[in-house]
Amino acid sequence: MIVDCDCHNYWSSAEVLLPYLDEYHRDYFTRGEQPGPRGSFPNANRPWLHPEGFKRMDINPETQDEQYRIMKEKHLDAYNIDYAIMTGDEAMEASTIANPFYAHALVKAYNDWLIDEWLSRDSRLKGSIMIAPQAPDLAAQEIRRLGHRSDMVQVLASHGTERPYGNPFYHPIFEACAEVGLPFAIHLGGQGGINTNPIAAGPTRYFWETHALLGQSAQTHVASMIAEGVFEKWPELYFIVIECGVAWAAPILWRLDADYKALRKETPWLKMLPSEYFRRNIRFTTQPLEQPETGVEHLWSILDAMYGRETLMFASDYPHWDYDDVQKLHIPPEWRGDVLGNNAMQVYRRLQNAGVNTTAAVETA
Amino acid sequence: MNGQGIHACKASDVAPGQQKIVRINNMPIGIFEIGDGEYHAMLNICPHRGGQLCEGPQCGTAVNGGDFGIEYGRRNELVRCAWHGWEFDIRTGEALADPKMKAKTFEVSVHGNDLYVHM
Ligand code: FES
Repeated sequence: MIVDCDCHNYWSSAEVLLPYLDEYHRDYFTRGEQPGPRGSFPNANRPWLHPEGFKRMDINPETQDEQYRIMKEKHLDAYNIDYAIMTGDEAMEASTIANPFYAHALVKAYNDWLIDEWLSRDSRLKGSIMIAPQAPDLAAQEIRRLGHRSDMVQVLASHGTERPYGNPFYHPIFEACAEVGLPFAIHLGGQGGINTNPIAAGPTRYFWETHALLGQSAQTHVASMIAEGVFEKWPELYFIVIECGVAWAAPILWRLDADYKALRKETPWLKMLPSEYFRRNIRFTTQPLEQPETGVEHLWSILDAMYGRETLMFASDYPHWDYDDVQKLHIPPEWRGDVLGNNAMQVYRRLQNAGVNTTAAVETA
Repeated sequence: MNGQGIHACKASDVAPGQQKIVRINNMPIGIFEIGDGEYHAMLNICPHRGGQLCEGPQCGTAVNGGDFGIEYGRRNELVRCAWHGWEFDIRTGEALADPKMKAKTFEVSVHGNDLYVHM
C-alpha cells in the first residue's frame, strides 16, 4: 500500500481559475495588476525564485490533459501509487495576499477546479481543501462547504503565515476541521507578501540556502500548536507538516519537554508532555528527507527519536526538482510498510472508507 | 578505442546544446556535442537516484566565484540532471558538487556523418 502525501497538481495557466471566480473577483484577475506575466498569478509574491524552475526537467506538460497523463505515466502507474494526495501548487501562495476576500475567492475557485479537473479523472487522486488562512472565518466556511466530500482528505494551508498556527486567531479553522473530520496540513510555501517572517533573523538571499532552512517556520508552528492547546481543544485533530524537513523534530521536542517541565504554569491547559501531543496528533511527510554525508544511520537514529515509524508518511513531491522515488527512500527497511502507507491510512480517515484500489484506477474522464 | 563501436545516430542529429537520446544495446544513452565537433556519450541514468540524467538541459554554469562575483562559462560542457538538477561534466561524467559521484560515459567516434559509441 503506497500513499503519496504530497503530489502536486499543476495548472497549465492560472487562467483555468477564471470560470470558477465570481464576477467581482474575475475583474481583479483579468484587469487587475499582475505580479508577473499573464497566467503566472500569484507566484510572483515569492521572494525566492528557483534559478532552474521548480519542476523535474523531464516533465513538461503543456495542456491540461498532459498534466494528468504524464503524472499517471511517470508517477502513479510507474510506482503503483494507491492514493496520491493533491497539494496544488501556486494556489498555496494565495496566503500572501493582503486582501482576504480576494485570497479566499482564489482558493475557492482553485478547489472547484481541483474537483472538476483532477479528482474526477482518477479515483487514486484525493484532494486537499486549500484555504486562505488570513481569513479564518472564510476558511472555515470553505471547509464546511467541501469538507463532507469523500474525495477531500485534508485541509491545506501554506507554512508561511502572519502568525504561528496555534494562535487563537486560527482556531475557527481547526473547529471546522474537527467538525468535518479532516486533518489540518501545512505545506512549505506562502513566504512573502503579508507573511513577513518566513525566516528567522530576516530573509536569506539564495534559494538553496533558504530551502535548507525550510524547517524554521514549521518548528514555530509545531511548538505553537502544542502550547496553545489546540490538541486539548480538538484531541482527534491531526496536524500534518508537509515538506518542511523532519530531522529537526526530535531535538525541538527534547527542548519543549524540558522547558515545559520547568514552566508548565504558563500553559495550564496542557495535560501531557509536548512530545506526547506530538506523537498523538502530529505527522510529518518524508520529502525532503535529510541526507547526512556522515552516513544514513545518523538519520535513522534521529528518525527513531521522533517516533518515525509512527509519525512519518511517504511523500514524493512529484514533479518537483527534489522529487523522491518510492524505492530510494532512506528509512529503515522494516518501517517501509508503515511509512509508505499504513500511517497515512490511519491519518486520512476518509481513505479507509474509499476502498482499496488494488487494480489500476478507473479513469472517468 | 577498439573496433568500430556501435552506430548511434547521424552527427547532424546532434547540435551543440541539443543532445540526442538513443538506445544502444537496450541502454538509454545521451549523445552530446560540446563544441568544435567534440562528441560525447553518457548513460541516461543518474548515479544520484537513477533519474533521467541526459534529459536535463545541456548548459554552462557559474565558473568564477572569486571575490563573490559570478561569471558564466563552460557553455555546453555540462548536463544538469532532469530530476534533482545536479550538474555533470559531459567529458568526465563527474558531478561538479561531488566528484565521487560519476555518471557513466562512453567514447564516441565520428566517421563522416555517423557517430559510433564505444562500450
Ligand atoms: S537523480 Fe540525477 S540528480 Fe538526482
